[in-house]
Amino acid sequence: MASTASRSRISLANLSPARGSLHKQKRVGRGQGSNHGGTAGRGHNGQKSRSGAGIKPGFEGGQTPITKLFPKRGFVNQNERVWAPVNLERIQHWINLGRLSCSPEKPITARELLFSGCVHDIHDGIKVLGDGAEFLTSQIYITPSRASKSAIRAIEDRGGQVVCKYYNPLALQDCVKGRTDRITAAPTRRQDIMWYSKFQNRGFLSPDLLKKLGDAPFVEERWKLLSQQLGKWRKQEFDVEKKKK
Amino acid sequence: MAKTVPLKRAIPDPPPPSITGLTASLRKPHESAECQLVALDPTVFHHPIRRDILHLCINHYRDSLRQGSANTRTRGEVRGSGRKIRPQKGSGRARLGDAQSPMLRGGGVAFGPKPRDFSTKLPRKVIQMGMRVALSSKVLEQNLGVMKTMDWPNGKTKYLSHKISSLGLKNTLFITGEDEVPTMLQRAIQNIPLVGVTTSREVNIHELLKWPRVMLDAKAVDFFEQSLGKPYACVDDTPVQEAISRL
Repeated sequence: MASTASRSRISLANLSPARGSLHKQKRVGRGQGSNHGGTAGRGHNGQKSRSGAGIKPGFEGGQTPITKLFPKRGFVNQNERVWAPVNLERIQHWINLGRLSCSPEKPITARELLFSGCVHDIHDGIKVLGDGAEFLTSQIYITPSRASKSAIRAIEDRGGQVVCKYYNPLALQDCVKGRTDRITAAPTRRQDIMWYSKFQNRGFLSPDLLKKLGDAPFVEERWKLLSQQLGKWRKQEFDVEKKKK
Repeated sequence: MAKTVPLKRAIPDPPPPSITGLTASLRKPHESAECQLVALDPTVFHHPIRRDILHLCINHYRDSLRQGSANTRTRGEVRGSGRKIRPQKGSGRARLGDAQSPMLRGGGVAFGPKPRDFSTKLPRKVIQMGMRVALSSKVLEQNLGVMKTMDWPNGKTKYLSHKISSLGLKNTLFITGEDEVPTMLQRAIQNIPLVGVTTSREVNIHELLKWPRVMLDAKAVDFFEQSLGKPYACVDDTPVQEAISRL
């Protein structure tokens, strides 16, 4: 802090930039002293010394460029989903530090994991994995997009509960932002409906799971309705036309 | 080391600012010796002085003022035909195309100025810091004063000029916290030399540095403290749980 005794008042006349913050611009073709005079850094003659656009990037003078040498392969799956993994030991560590807390009324969701720094990016959803299950000691109530079988086993052994919930990109965004005015969409794809209807995955549409949870605080009423509607395939049969003799 | 001469004022100098609590006092000469004190937010009025930040902010402001209307004609814009002036070979002189080439007299300008926008971007928080530094520098130089309200009953310049001279407030910028400068005050003050008036919303860092002394309204002090103040000067101690639930 400059003392006012040693300098006159701070005015427009005595301001200066921070030392080292400004760098002189490189100006070519302005004499020998600048080291960039004469040919201005372009050398002598040749295509590159001429004005106008140079050669196309990636052009190798006619030789097959490296981008064309090798054949194309495969395709990019547009429906692919990348899960953000989080291990049980990490969750336990976070709880020990006081950065995460959960109760049956407020289960751990993507929002809590992101904001506490347990997970750095949510991608298409959270998947709970079972590494370090021996370090898990607290009861956890968590609603991820997916969970591995060993993680489910470990959490339920300690008295907690996992319910895998379907989040489409919009639902995930709403979960992170804390928006509750919109209804989260039900799964539409057959794969998703099948996956979330299985008890072994602790899917939210599984009738066994919903019966087991009963009136737990984090169960939504909509799950029961969806489970009925999306579970109709279990009782349906395809009509087979009987051949008339 | 040059000895600075303090600005002569009828009001005695306010007490030097302390780190724990800033105070600015304004005592009218005909009033009693009771000092009226104002407690100022140290995060706004006692910020460490950063001349380089002021430099950045002033440059940003002055860039935004540039008109940027310099224009020249290129060889494509100079009026003239595209006819080849002399044959390619045979004349013994240099080869030439049309008469508008920059090599020739009367031709276009090569790489001349064109109208462009000279304004630059500066992070919002740097601009806010600049305001804090500017206000703090005024307090440090004991050139910042606070008044309760700023208004003038009639629009007569004569009486206001006399009052300002008697208070010793020449070379001062008056900043009021109202939405607009009161009309009577505006009329009375606009012709007085070496005195300026503005609102706290419109004031910029250039004016704060240009004017030797600054007088604030009580409302203006509140405005600056609200818009520039930091809720906590040190590290945030609230635990994460509370911060999450507050989101």
